Amino acid sequence: MSDRSPYAQELALFGTRSRRVRLAVALTVLVALPIIATPFQLDLANQVLLASIGALALMLLTGFAGMISLGTAGLLAAGAFAVGILVRELGAPFWVTLPTAAVVGAFLGLIFGLPSLRLRGVYLAISTLGLHFVVIYLGGEYEARATLSTGIMIDSPSIGGFILSGGRPWYFLLLGFAALALLISVNLQRSRTGRAWRALRERDVVAGALGIDVQRFKLMAFMVSATMTAIAGALFAYFRNFVSIDAFSLYLTVQYVAMIIIGGMGSIPGALLGASFVILFPYAIEAIAGYLPARFGNMVFALDYAAFGVVMILFLLLEPAGLMGIWRRVKNSLAVRRARSES
Amino acid sequence: MSLQLVANIIVLAAIYALVSTGYVLVYRVSRVLNLAHGELMMMGAYLLVATAGLFSGNPLLALVLAAICGLAMGMVVYAVLMRWMTGEAVLAAVLITIALGILLRGLTILIWTTQQYYPGATFGWRNPPVHVAPGVQISAASLAIVFFTFVVYVGLFVFLQFTRWGVRMRAAGQNPLLAEQRGIRLHGVYAFAWGLSTFTASLAGMLLALDSGVESTMATIGLKAFPAALVGGLDSLLGALIGALIVATAEIAAIQYVNPLLSDVVPFVVLLIVLAIRPWGLFGSREQLDRV
Amino acid sequence: MTEPLLAIDDLQVAYHRIAVALHGVSLRVMPQTIVALLGNNGAGKTTTLRAVSGFIGLDDARVIAGSIRFAGQRIENQLPHTNTARGVVLVPERDKVFPNLTVAENLTVATSRRASTTERRRLEALIFQFFPALAELRLRLAGLLSGGERQMLALASAIVCKPELLLVDELSLGLAPVAVEDLARRVSSIRQELGITVLLVEQNAGVALAIADYGYVLENGRVVLEGVATELRGHREIQESYLGQASGEERRSYRALRHEPRHKRSDG
Repeated sequence: MSDRSPYAQELALFGTRSRRVRLAVALTVLVALPIIATPFQLDLANQVLLASIGALALMLLTGFAGMISLGTAGLLAAGAFAVGILVRELGAPFWVTLPTAAVVGAFLGLIFGLPSLRLRGVYLAISTLGLHFVVIYLGGEYEARATLSTGIMIDSPSIGGFILSGGRPWYFLLLGFAALALLISVNLQRSRTGRAWRALRERDVVAGALGIDVQRFKLMAFMVSATMTAIAGALFAYFRNFVSIDAFSLYLTVQYVAMIIIGGMGSIPGALLGASFVILFPYAIEAIAGYLPARFGNMVFALDYAAFGVVMILFLLLEPAGLMGIWRRVKNSLAVRRARSES
Repeated sequence: MSLQLVANIIVLAAIYALVSTGYVLVYRVSRVLNLAHGELMMMGAYLLVATAGLFSGNPLLALVLAAICGLAMGMVVYAVLMRWMTGEAVLAAVLITIALGILLRGLTILIWTTQQYYPGATFGWRNPPVHVAPGVQISAASLAIVFFTFVVYVGLFVFLQFTRWGVRMRAAGQNPLLAEQRGIRLHGVYAFAWGLSTFTASLAGMLLALDSGVESTMATIGLKAFPAALVGGLDSLLGALIGALIVATAEIAAIQYVNPLLSDVVPFVVLLIVLAIRPWGLFGSREQLDRV
Repeated sequence: MTEPLLAIDDLQVAYHRIAVALHGVSLRVMPQTIVALLGNNGAGKTTTLRAVSGFIGLDDARVIAGSIRFAGQRIENQLPHTNTARGVVLVPERDKVFPNLTVAENLTVATSRRASTTERRRLEALIFQFFPALAELRLRLAGLLSGGERQMLALASAIVCKPELLLVDELSLGLAPVAVEDLARRVSSIRQELGITVLLVEQNAGVALAIADYGYVLENGRVVLEGVATELRGHREIQESYLGQASGEERRSYRALRHEPRHKRSDG
C-alpha cells in the first residue's frame, strides 16, 4: 500500500484509505439490508436499485456527454417488450431474453442517436421525444393485436432451475446489476471515452477540431446509454411479472430526467441520490395524504403529480446543481467553519 | 378523398393551428419552448367549466370571463415562474415548463377530479351538426373552431404588423438586448406574449370543451399540435397554419386508409421527418438551430 | 468649471469574474462635447461603452471596482433600460438594428419616457433632415440596407430616444471612407443642433479626431494618453500607431530595405 505513488493511489479505484473505509461501510450496509429490512422496505430498495440503472444510463448520456434525451420511457419499454414478446411467443428463458433486450437497446440507441449528429439542445430533445412516441405506438400495436388483456404476464425468471422471486433474491440480483452499471459508469468517466464525452458536452465543434471523432462518440454515448436502459426495462418486466404499454408514459421519462437534475447533473452519486429521491417521493406523499381531507387524500396520484411538479420547479429555480450541489455547499460551509475555529 | 374527409381535415387543422399560435408566440418573442402549453389549454377548458357552473344562465358572460382568465393565466405564469428563467439557458426553461405541465395536471385532477365535464350541456346547448355542403356535416362547435381560428390568425397578424405593442414584441424577439436599450421593457413584453399565448390556448380548450367535453387527458392534443408549429418554423404564424394543414392531412389520411390507432403517433412521425430533412422548418432560418 | 456629464473613475471590469478587461480607466466627458475613445482591438473601448450603457451583463461581465457617474448619479451594473431612461443611449457595434422591421418601424419602436409625443414627432422629423436617405427607405426592411444606411438608421433610432449622452461603438466599421466622412460630419452637426454629448469609440483615429473635441487612448485596459483633439492629432505616437504615418526614422529604414542586396530578401 505504501509503495504506491500518490498519483497511482488517486487513479486506483479504491486506492486511498478513506475510500476503502467508505467502501467497507457501504458493503456492510448493503449486505445487512435484506436481513434487517421489512418486506416493504426491501421492495423499496429493489425499486431504487432498478431505477438507479436507468438513472445512471441517462446520466451518462446527458450529464457526461451533454446530449439531452427524452426517450427513456421508450427505451425502457423496448427492453420490457423484448422480454414480453420473446416469453410470450417463444417461451424464451432469461439468458436469451436479457441479451436480446440489450441488443434491441443498442440498435434503438443507434436510431435515437442519429439526430444528434445534426441537432443539438432542444431540437435534439424533441427528436428523442418523437422517437419515444413511435416506440410506444409500436408497443401499443403489439399489445392490441396480440393480447386480449391490457398486458403480457410473465413468469418469474429461472436461473439454472432456481426461480427468482421474492424480495431477497431480487435484491441481490438487482444489487449486482446496479453495481455493474455503477462500475461501468465510473470506468467510462475516467476513460478516454469519458473524456471525449466531456469534450463533446462542452463544445462539440471544438472537440471535432481537436481530432475527436464526434460522430462516433455521440453514437456511442447513445448506444451505451440505451443498452443500459433497455436492460433495466427487461429487469423491470421480470420484476413486476407484467408488461404493459401504459406503464411507459412521458411522465416516466420526466421522472428519470428529474432524477439526474435533483441528484445533480453530471455526477454519479447524484444519479443514485436522485433515483432514491424520486422513487421514495410518492411514498412520502402518500404518507402525507393520510393527513389531508379525504377529498384530496383519495387522489394520491394527482397529489403526487402536483407535488412532483412543485419539487422539480423548486430544484430548477433554486438549486440547479441538485442534491449534490446542496451537499457541496454544506460541506464547504462546514469546512469554512472548521478552518475558522482552527485559526 | 371525399368532401367529408376534407372537412374533417380542415377542422383538425384549425384545432392544431389555433393551439400552435401559442407555441409560436412564446417562442418567437422570448425564445422559450413551452411544453406546458397542452396543459394550459386544458386549464382554459376547465376555466370554462368553472364559469359555466357559476353563470349557467349567461353563456356569453361565462365564455368571456373564461377567456379573460385565460389571458391573465399566462401573464401570471410568466410573472411568477418564467421570468426567473429569462436570460438563463433555454434548456432549463424548457425543463421548467415540463415541470409546470406536470404540476398543472395534478392540480386540475385535484380540483376537478377525472370526471368528464360538458360545459355545453350546462348551458343547455346540444352542439347540433351543421350541414356545410351536400353530404358534408360537422358539429356546430367545430364550425366555431374554424371560424375563431381564422379570426385569431387575422387578429394576430394585424396586431403584430400594425400596432405599437405588436412591433415591440417582434423587436424583442429579434434582438432582446437592443430592445432593452431602446427602452422596451422585456419583462412586460414577455408577460404579454405569454398572456396572448394562453388566451388563444384557452379559446381552443373552451371550444373543444363545447365540442366534446373536458377530461384530464385533453392536454395530449396540445402536444400533438406542436409538430405543426415546428413544421412551420416555430416562429412563423403562417408556417404554423401550413404545418397544421400538413399534420392534419397526414393524420386523417392515416386514420382513414391505414389504421385508426395511428392517430396519436402520426404528428410525431411528421415531426421526425421534418427534423430529418429541414429542422428549421418551412419559414425558419438555420441560425435558429444554434440559438437553442 | 462645469461638471462633466459623464465621469468614470478608476473603472475595473472583469469578464466571467476572472478576466480583467479594464484595469482602472478614468475619463471625463463634458456636456455637449464629442469625446473620442481610441485604441486597437482588445484595448477595452467596447468594454467601457458597455459598462456605461448597462449592456455589460450580456457577456457575464461586471464592474468590479471604480465608479461611473452620469449627471452626478452612479450608474454602474444597472439594466440597459434604466440607463436609457436616464438618457444614456448606445449605438452598438453589431446587431444595431432590428433586421425584420422596416426603417419606419425601427424608428418608432423605441419607447422613451424622456420624450413627450410632440417631442418625439419633432425628433423623428429632424432625423429625416439629418439623414435624408432614410426618408426614401422608410418601408425597406432594415436587414436589407447597406452598411452605411444601417449605421445611419442605428444612429437615427438612438437619437429618437432623446439621448443626453450618445455612445457610439465603431462608427466606421465596415464602411467605405467616403461614407465614413459623411457620417462623421452628420454626427458633428447633430451635436451642434441638438446639443447632444457624444462618446465615440473608434479604431479609425483620423475620423474620430476630426470631429472630436477631446480624446483618450486606451491600451490593454488603461488610458495611456489623453488630450485635446487637435493636440492628439499632432502627437507622434498617435501618428505612428493609429494614423499610419511613418516618422522620419521609419522612412529611412524602408529605404534601407529597398536597397538590400537581392539574395537577402525572402522569396515570394
